[in-house]
Amino acid sequence: MKYSYIKPRKKTPITPELQIIFTFFAMTLIMLFLTYAFLLYKDYTFKKERQTTIEQKKELKANIKDMQKQISFIQKQKALAEKVFTQNMVLKDSIANLFDLVPQRITLSHAKLLKNGLILYGITPNKDVYNFMLQAPLRSIFHKTYSSFYPAKNGWLMFVSKNYMDEAQARELDSEN
Amino acid sequence: MKINISRQYVYILLLSVSLFLFVIIFSFGILIPKGKLYRESRLELLKENAELRKYQDFHDKTLKQLKELQSKNRHVITAFGTAFSPDRFEKQHKSFFSSLRVSKIARSEDEEGFATYEVNTTSQISSPKNFYNFLDALNKSNWIIGVNFPIDFKRDGEMIKSSFTMKVYTDNKDKNATASESVAK
Repeated sequence: MKYSYIKPRKKTPITPELQIIFTFFAMTLIMLFLTYAFLLYKDYTFKKERQTTIEQKKELKANIKDMQKQISFIQKQKALAEKVFTQNMVLKDSIANLFDLVPQRITLSHAKLLKNGLILYGITPNKDVYNFMLQAPLRSIFHKTYSSFYPAKNGWLMFVSKNYMDEAQARELDSEN
Repeated sequence: MKINISRQYVYILLLSVSLFLFVIIFSFGILIPKGKLYRESRLELLKENAELRKYQDFHDKTLKQLKELQSKNRHVITAFGTAFSPDRFEKQHKSFFSSLRVSKIARSEDEEGFATYEVNTTSQISSPKNFYNFLDALNKSNWIIGVNFPIDFKRDGEMIKSSFTMKVYTDNKDKNATASESVAK
């Protein structure tokens, strides 16, 4: 005998209310674990990136140090090269000045250019020509000037002129160059 | 008074409370400290990146400076690195002299950290002008060479015999050791 017109529902422990609650629970837990996983992943990538950055920084530092060494070495080379080139040019001017200094009436046979002096051997028609035209300008340049004469076969005078600078002045000129 | 709650609701309530407790403990015990750590790590990384950018900028600046220096001083750098060859020197400079002889390459004291070699030179020139041209050419040669005192000029008929010492500067300390004497006429 039937007491109802509808079929009886099956009884289950998971009621719709429970289903809603479980869904809510599951969503909450998934969100929590996803956040945690995100934080773990980010922490890992940050650590990795930081390590890479530190390594790059180390590499850059080493490169910079190396380049600075190269720069200072090139600057040193440049300074020395300029010093040498200037010395050559000063030497050229000094030799040019020396030959310009010798008057036409005096003939040089030998010239020795020293670091702190100049020794000239030559022939002059007479002492006056030598004294006025060569010794005077030499005296204005050098501190000590010694001259000696001896007669030549043609009646002219052969001379040896030794001229020296003070050590201090020679050093000064050297450092200027 | 009797409260009539079904067993199912009691289970649900217990489950909710335990989830609530789990969420609280998990959040405060793990998530929040981890979040703080994340924030700190991010800030630290940003700081590191900013520092790296600074280093990169300085690196680029230094590299530019080095390249500029290298291109401006190419001749000097090459000259310092070239081993002195008496034969090549004579080939390059014999046009200034009637005869040129380069000999005795000897190591002398290092100067400003560079190796120096002394070379004796004897030559004949027809006029001092040739010697001036030689000095000009010396500054453009393949080596860094300075003419040293004493310099000797001696009349020899219509010619001038000259002898002088040259100092060759190099940053390569071994290259010149095998260089030998050479004569060109």
